[in-house]
Order: sequence, then C-alpha cells, then structure tokens
Amino acid sequence: MPLKLLQNSGVPIYQQIAEQLRADILAGKLKEGEYLPSIRGLAKDLRISVITTMKAYEQLEAEGLVTAAQGKGFYVNAQDSEMLKEQHLRRVEEALAEAIRAARIAGMTGKELQEILRTLLDMQDEKES
Amino acid sequence: MSKKDVKTTKEIQFNDKTDRPGQTAQMWQKALQAWNLKKNFKGFQLSVPGLELPKGFATALIGENGAGKTTLLNILTGIRLDYKGEISYFGRQEKGIDASVQERIGYTGPGSYFLPQWTIRQVEEISELLFDNFHKDRYRALCEELGIGGSGTDVSKQVKSLSDGNRMKLMLAAVLARDTSLLILDEPASPLDPLMRDRLCDMIRNYLDQGGGEKTVFFSTHNIADMESVTDYAIILEHGNIVEEGFVEELKEKYICVKGEAADAERAGEAMFSMHRSAYGFEGICLARNLERLAGMDITLETPTLSQIAVAVMKANTNLGKKA
Repeated sequence: MPLKLLQNSGVPIYQQIAEQLRADILAGKLKEGEYLPSIRGLAKDLRISVITTMKAYEQLEAEGLVTAAQGKGFYVNAQDSEMLKEQHLRRVEEALAEAIRAARIAGMTGKELQEILRTLLDMQDEKES
Repeated sequence: MSKKDVKTTKEIQFNDKTDRPGQTAQMWQKALQAWNLKKNFKGFQLSVPGLELPKGFATALIGENGAGKTTLLNILTGIRLDYKGEISYFGRQEKGIDASVQERIGYTGPGSYFLPQWTIRQVEEISELLFDNFHKDRYRALCEELGIGGSGTDVSKQVKSLSDGNRMKLMLAAVLARDTSLLILDEPASPLDPLMRDRLCDMIRNYLDQGGGEKTVFFSTHNIADMESVTDYAIILEHGNIVEEGFVEELKEKYICVKGEAADAERAGEAMFSMHRSAYGFEGICLARNLERLAGMDITLETPTLSQIAVAVMKANTNLGKKA
C-alpha cells in the first residue's frame, strides 16, 4: 500500500492520506474486512503525528468506508456501490450548500455562483487534460 | 471550586467534541490528570485548574520563557513537591506520586541529573541499581546508535566531557532503556542539532507505536516547527495559566491563516485574532468562527501551522512589549 504525502501542497496531510486510502478501498486494493495499519504504526512509518493519521481514519469512518473496532483498529467495510454513490452525493450537496451560504453572505447572485462553478470545472478539466 | 466540579466542567467540554464525526472524544483516556495545581513564587503564580494528558499521544507544552513550563513539569515528575493541588497518574484512585508511579515515568531535563564525573558505563550501573525495568543491552544499543561518546562509544567518557547535545542523548538513552508508560521531557530538542531533532521525533513516534496506545509523551519545547510532526495535543502556557489547548488537528480548524489587501487591514483588524500589517497587505490568524466578518474582502486562506497558532496565541496573551 504505497502512500505519497506532499508537505507543502496546501492539501492537509490527513486529507491526502484519506484520499489515497479511499481510492485503494474503492478500487478493491484494500479488501472487505482487511485492517488498515494501526494509527501509531502508520504515523511512525509516514513520520507524522498520531492525531493526523487518526483524523484521516475518522474521515474514512464518517464516509462509511471503514469501521473502528474497539482496541483493534479500523477495518474495511463491505462496499455497496449504491450506498457509496449516495454518500458521495450527500457530500457534494453539503459542500454546495456551504458554498451557497458563503455566496449569500458575499451578496452574490445565483447566476454569479453558477459562473464560478463553471469556471472551476473548466480549470479542473484543464488541469486533468 | 471543589475538585469534582472541575472534573465535570471538563467533561462537558469533551462532550462538545463528540458533535463532530469521529471517535477522538470517546477514545480519550488520560495518562495523567491534575486538579487545581498552584505554585506561588515572588511575582509569579502557576495556576492550573485542570490538566489532562491524553493517553497514547504526544502532548507538547508550549510557552514563553518564564511561563511556568519547567515548574509544571517538575511538579508532575515529583521533582518539586511544594505545590498545592492533586495529581492522579495512570487513572489511579490514589493521588500523588510514589515509587511505583516513578518507576513508570521517564524524565529528561535541561540540567543533567547525572553527576559530572560519572562515566557512560557508570550511568548504566547506577540506572540498573535505581530502576527495576532498566535494560542495559537496550541502553548500550541506544548509546551506540545515537553516537554518544563518538562512534564505537567510549564508555569511560565522563558526563562532564560530553557536549550539551550528547548529554541530552545520554539522558534519552537512559530513559528509553527503561520500560515506562509516560515520558516527561523538558526541552528535549533545544540542545540537539537538526538531524538529532529529527531522530528525536522518530524516537517519540516509535515509543508511542510500541505502546500501542498505552504509552504517553509530554514534552516542553520552543522548537515548535521541529516538533510539529510529532505533536498530537498542544497546551499553551502563559504567565502560569493554560491559555489554549487541544488536539492539533482541531486547533488547525479553530484558527485560520488569512492574507489580505492593505486597504482592508483596518477593518480586518477588528475581526482578526492576531495580525501583522504592512504597506503590502496584512496577514495573521483569524478564529474560524469570525471568518464571516471578513466577507467581501479579497483574502487568501491557509491552514496554519502549529507554530503560527502558538505564536498568535502567545502574542495575544503576552505581557511582553504591551503598551500600558
């Protein structure tokens, strides 16, 4: 399970860990029932703090990808693709709702907000192409 | 306030943390708890109504010179017994320190607790006499590994002939050669070179990993940046009071680093927690909950480092350079 962390990418370390583990879980590289490395073992290997690995695991747990077993660590859940899709949809909705709130405070119109979303999507596409 | 009341208020705070997803609050067990710690000096009072070290984590004690860090650590290690208040170690019912507790605590401090004329070998012999859980093979391996007394470790070398850095390494070797549950390290990074500081962080992570959640580290430091990668929980002490504390990942959500335009500096200043302004713009730390008050300004947000947070909190609480 290779993990690559960037110290100065602007993306918090815990998110980088969560993203990479999430990808491994969704791709089936980490199988159902399999235990993730212990939080302190991973912290030691990645040379980061325990709380950072813990936060990454907690995020995966909140997404329903893993379950914490008392005293035994975190194991990978069965991945129900419908449920996963649902979960991701919820995250998208939450994030967009947050954006709408911020836009209201800044006095932006719905149109302006859509404009921003379109621009960001274009930028992302460009980055990926 | 009675001891019990203090505990209750603390617990209410922890329950707040369960609002967010995650298990931190439930997993939170304490390696050490203290209530109403007080120590008076002329013109200075250490006053800590409640102190708790999360078990299985590394906690950093941060604060200005003279904030009371060493006094607090000396109280916790039993070096200083002339204080008011109560301490419970490892969840024990009975309060205070005794031999069985001391056996489980490893301590290194700014001075040397080895006599100057002792040799590296004598430190081993004395440690063996003093502690049941001292492993001399581990001590020797560590001395070798850390290069104390040059490569090949000259065990006849006297403590007084060692550099400050090597003396610190010797203390660490002696402490890590024991089976302990709690390390209390007073400024361990200060005398060490950058390479050894890196090594120190590895040693702390290793210790925590070996403990599997049962071993705890509490260290004071001025070298926040060097120690950040090993800091799980931070306690900031100013004038003998705890002015901020929390798990680092939570502090990084509570405070946000903001950069903005000079034209907005005046207005931003009212909402910012701490800030520095120049002709080119302003930058500083803002409480996340006050971020809304910067709406409409052209600002850049960044997750702060622990040093940035600590400096901002220290600045907000210092007496140093404050106008009367």
